[in-house]
Amino acid sequence: MRRKHMLSLFMLVMGVALLVAATTVAVATSATSHTATAAKASAKRGGVLRVNQSGTDFDTVDPGLAYVTNDWALLYTTQVLLVNYPEKNGQAGGQLYPEGATSFPIVSNNGKTYTFHIRPGLKFSDGTPVTAAAWQRAWERNLSPKMGSPMGVNDQFQKVIVGAEAFNNGKASRISGISAHGLTLVFHLTKPNPTFTSYLAMQWFGAVKPNMPYTTQGLNVYPSAGPYYIASREPNRTTVLKRNPYYHGSRPANPDQIVITSNTDVNQSLLQVKAGQADLDMGGVPSTAAASLGQQYGVNKGRFHVGSTSCVDYLLLNTVRAPTNNVAVRKALNWGIDRPALLRILGKYAGQRSDQILVPGVPGYRPYKIYAWSGANVAKAKAVGGSALKSAGTFNVLHTPTPARTAQAQVVEYNLQKLGLKYNDVPTPGTTYYNTLETKGTSYNIARAGWCADYFDPFDYINVLLDGRSIQQTNNVDMAYLNSPALNKQMDQAAALSGRARANAYAKLDLEVMQKYAPWVPFMIDNTRYLTSSRVSNWVYSTYFGEPDLNALAVG
Amino acid sequence: MTHFLIRRIFWAIFLFLVATIITYLIFFVIPADPAALAAGKAPTPQDVARVRHLMHLDLPIYQQYWLFLWNLIRHGSLGHSFVNRQSVRYLVGEDAPVTASLVFGGAVFWLSLSIPVGILSALRPRSLLDRIAMLFVLVGISAHPVWIGLILSYVFGYKLGITPIAGYCNFFPGTPGAQCSGPIQWAYHLILPWITFMVLFAALYVRLIRANVMETMSEDYVRTARAKGAGERRVMVQHVLRNSMLPVVTILGMDIGLALGGAIFTETVFNLPGLGNNLVSAANADDLPLVVGIVVFATLAVIVFNFLVDVAYAFLDPRIRLS
Repeated sequence: MRRKHMLSLFMLVMGVALLVAATTVAVATSATSHTATAAKASAKRGGVLRVNQSGTDFDTVDPGLAYVTNDWALLYTTQVLLVNYPEKNGQAGGQLYPEGATSFPIVSNNGKTYTFHIRPGLKFSDGTPVTAAAWQRAWERNLSPKMGSPMGVNDQFQKVIVGAEAFNNGKASRISGISAHGLTLVFHLTKPNPTFTSYLAMQWFGAVKPNMPYTTQGLNVYPSAGPYYIASREPNRTTVLKRNPYYHGSRPANPDQIVITSNTDVNQSLLQVKAGQADLDMGGVPSTAAASLGQQYGVNKGRFHVGSTSCVDYLLLNTVRAPTNNVAVRKALNWGIDRPALLRILGKYAGQRSDQILVPGVPGYRPYKIYAWSGANVAKAKAVGGSALKSAGTFNVLHTPTPARTAQAQVVEYNLQKLGLKYNDVPTPGTTYYNTLETKGTSYNIARAGWCADYFDPFDYINVLLDGRSIQQTNNVDMAYLNSPALNKQMDQAAALSGRARANAYAKLDLEVMQKYAPWVPFMIDNTRYLTSSRVSNWVYSTYFGEPDLNALAVG
Repeated sequence: MTHFLIRRIFWAIFLFLVATIITYLIFFVIPADPAALAAGKAPTPQDVARVRHLMHLDLPIYQQYWLFLWNLIRHGSLGHSFVNRQSVRYLVGEDAPVTASLVFGGAVFWLSLSIPVGILSALRPRSLLDRIAMLFVLVGISAHPVWIGLILSYVFGYKLGITPIAGYCNFFPGTPGAQCSGPIQWAYHLILPWITFMVLFAALYVRLIRANVMETMSEDYVRTARAKGAGERRVMVQHVLRNSMLPVVTILGMDIGLALGGAIFTETVFNLPGLGNNLVSAANADDLPLVVGIVVFATLAVIVFNFLVDVAYAFLDPRIRLS
């Protein structure tokens, strides 16, 4: 009898628990299926685009502080820039067009004054008209000491515009070289700068309300003039974009709302997208799933999307430390490293092989193949390296200890072995990896790095990454430490050109740097891989951001 | 009792200081430079110095720690995140309810299962039920929560489609822009995390309760109660359960306190924006203020729950406070 009572008690407790669980599931499932039905019934314009962002959140959504790619992809949907990249697939998406301005700038004869006429009728999401002062304020927020924004300063923008340095140092209350009167905006540059128009396509320089405050913490919610505005934001959790009711421009604004959930798990996120519980993961798909997704859905046939980016992956070769300080050795490595093997580690569709600095879409990109393309060519490498290779000492191969980077380092080390070379494997924590590479006098010889464009211009690759005059004690971007006065001069000359002449000069430089100096072993132009739910259509992908244009996607 | 309470409070403060100092030191041993990371892509030494000053990283460690304590006590401030520049107190305040939802809901689940199963196993050792329960214990202890979570999520969320695969809804309706909110959606999204969270703890508690009940049942006072003619229900409820549950209360208090610091695995698998999930992100990004903020919260949770257990235990068992 006692046993019977206890068993009954147990069964009762479990029964109640299961009943509660089942009821909750039933009610909630019913609610969800109603939502799903409603969504299916909606037109292409409308609905809620549910986006995950695996493994990360936006650092900030304040345009005066934002720098990471994801930050900019979000701001692209909310901002109006003077010149912008259109919502178009392929290389057409990398061609600037005047967005907030009525036309490209009128440049003075001496190349130092840029005049923009602002498109009339633009409005912020609170109904306030957009005037030239909106861009003046954007520059001031970016360079104000009250913002603590290091970004514009790092790119030396304070030296580009007259009076910006004094403003940045707190010695002036306005930037004297920017004048805004009504719908006319004038920039006075310190010297001619053909790259200037490209700078303006960066998200730092979108229109902001002229009274948008300076704040070191950054703003989460504020009126914006693009197709969408940030309606709410909970850092590390959710960011909600809503359509700007006052936006009447030509850019698409298809979903009513875009809800971005951050810090999701990429594997779970993939299941959510497959099952239709989310529409897209900005973090892409797990590399291990790419091959099966390609088989299941086909590539670029509706749901599984593979797109090129502005990012180039390469092995840095330390040009000031033996044995990689010898150009013959660096060229030999370009023949002796197995590029396809480096790519395979990152999963299928991870990228396209490359042995050059520029990427497709950047003016001046002319595809070439001058080094080993389909695998290591040991014989050629030995021939090119000659006696320098035979007498080479030990190579320090630096890498982070993640599985992919370790495997890539192993490929490099295997290739070095095949060339009869010795190496030290130097695993370095991710937190200190770039600090190590960026410090002058660093002891690495070979290390993997990557670069994505801040602006779609060859200057941002070649001059920024290889101008030896920028080398300082720490925090270097020229991590190969290449410093050739002749090359620096050529870079200056190319930077001073514009139009076709500029593109041709950079195409020549791209080839010449790799032929003559070989400071890197470029091996890949990154792809991104996305899966969308079955209700997503109108896929428009930006090579510049390496992200889909969220405002162009349609749901339902 | 007063003396006991004072001792416990001082012990709690000491624990708090030790935990935060250790966290601080760990981060300063790591040679990453948050100022350089926050200073953009190619900062000059002057830029880095300016950011370092802005973050107070140019002060000696003990001064930084003192500043942290002063701001915490004087202003209730935990500082600002290095990564997104948001107030850490705000971030922790946003995350804590998510973790609390998981932990307290999970505790209800695991107690609902482990108490009856543990008692039944103790009452009928080596029976079929006992063997099944022990098999469950073995599986529950051996299987990692990540694996359990992934399996549950895949089967019930993806294959059968009867639960969400992952995600969280706020308990209180009205979150601007949220796709779902309210108690029903909240519970619906937490069912699988609760079950995942339950499995490990339920396994531990079944074994604990079984052992305690078996031990208590062999005590003299239980035999005496039976000899005096007390009914079996009275013996079980008044004598066996009351005494055998005391250690369970102690462990429960500690476990809940600890879990509030972040149920990292469960939160990660189910994309729950709680303290554990954000602790992982913060540690990966060298976001010292956020890591310290979460550690402070976890330390306080452990201390408070330990304190409550101590007080409750001392109240229930006079031998504790007398010793």
